Amino acid sequence: MRSAATIWAVIAGMAAANFVVRFAPMALVSRARIPGPIARWLSFVPVTVMASLVATEVLRPGGTWALTLANPYLLAALPTAAVFAKTRSFLGATLAGMASFLVFRALVG
Amino acid sequence: MRGVRLGFPILLGYAPVGATFGVLARKTGFSPLQAVLCSATALAGAGQFIALSVLAAGGGVLAVLAATTVVNLRYVLFGATVAPMYGRAAGALRPLLAFTLTDETFAVNTTDARTSGADPVSALGVGAIAWVGWVGGTALGALASASIPDPTRFGAEFAMPAMFTALLVGQIESRSHAAAAAIAGVLALASAAVLPGTWGITVGAVVGAAIAAWWFR
Repeated sequence: MRSAATIWAVIAGMAAANFVVRFAPMALVSRARIPGPIARWLSFVPVTVMASLVATEVLRPGGTWALTLANPYLLAALPTAAVFAKTRSFLGATLAGMASFLVFRALVG
Repeated sequence: MRGVRLGFPILLGYAPVGATFGVLARKTGFSPLQAVLCSATALAGAGQFIALSVLAAGGGVLAVLAATTVVNLRYVLFGATVAPMYGRAAGALRPLLAFTLTDETFAVNTTDARTSGADPVSALGVGAIAWVGWVGGTALGALASASIPDPTRFGAEFAMPAMFTALLVGQIESRSHAAAAAIAGVLALASAAVLPGTWGITVGAVVGAAIAAWWFR
């Protein structure tokens, strides 16, 4: 349990920090034309961000390595990807992922 | 509105995760009002969970802010990616588009822009509906925290990884994208082995995209 003053300071600081991080590049970049190589680099950023997030969340859940087949995060990612590839539904894939995660966790973990 | 329809799956994905944040925030000492205001003004997903864990571990205000900012540094890249997409058209909407920039709205909006052209108004609809899901979920969780059972019983800890996985599959639309994803994943894990916190994700994304851009030039 933390004091109310600490929590209010955290809330105000997070609001400011998260807005600055998001808005600064938008305010600066849109004034200039982006050179070709930078534009090509940026075109790969969405897919590399998602790949980095998935790799880290699935193989290092909670910040500890889980490089084994008895890893419910790794196992559940496969049906999640399959359901999304087939249905293109984020909700369906998320629910299927959570359901298969529960099954795999019960089986292996 | 078109954006609301595009963003609806995000709302459904965010609500349970937001509820989990609400429950955990109450356990960390937040009042229901504080939990809801935090979600409404930060809209930071992973950044908010990190903040809770740093607070719970006894960290001060600056430690919390440093952790949440590092986790959300990727939004610098996101902002730089979408800014030229919307260009002048965004105008006064730009601060609002920036405010509602998350992994999911970014993925949905960049995918939509590629298939049907950039539309700032529709993108804002996606952001608004995502915000409603996140804040509404937080309110539910914060108010009902006493009567809600442990969210992990429903596999809630896999909700975000599942969404990221679906978004990743949605972003892979060519061989070069698949190669970029593989490079980034390996880099993220390799750097996670040597760098603290969530720096591996930032390194994987930045360096992975640079290698792909050079390789497929």
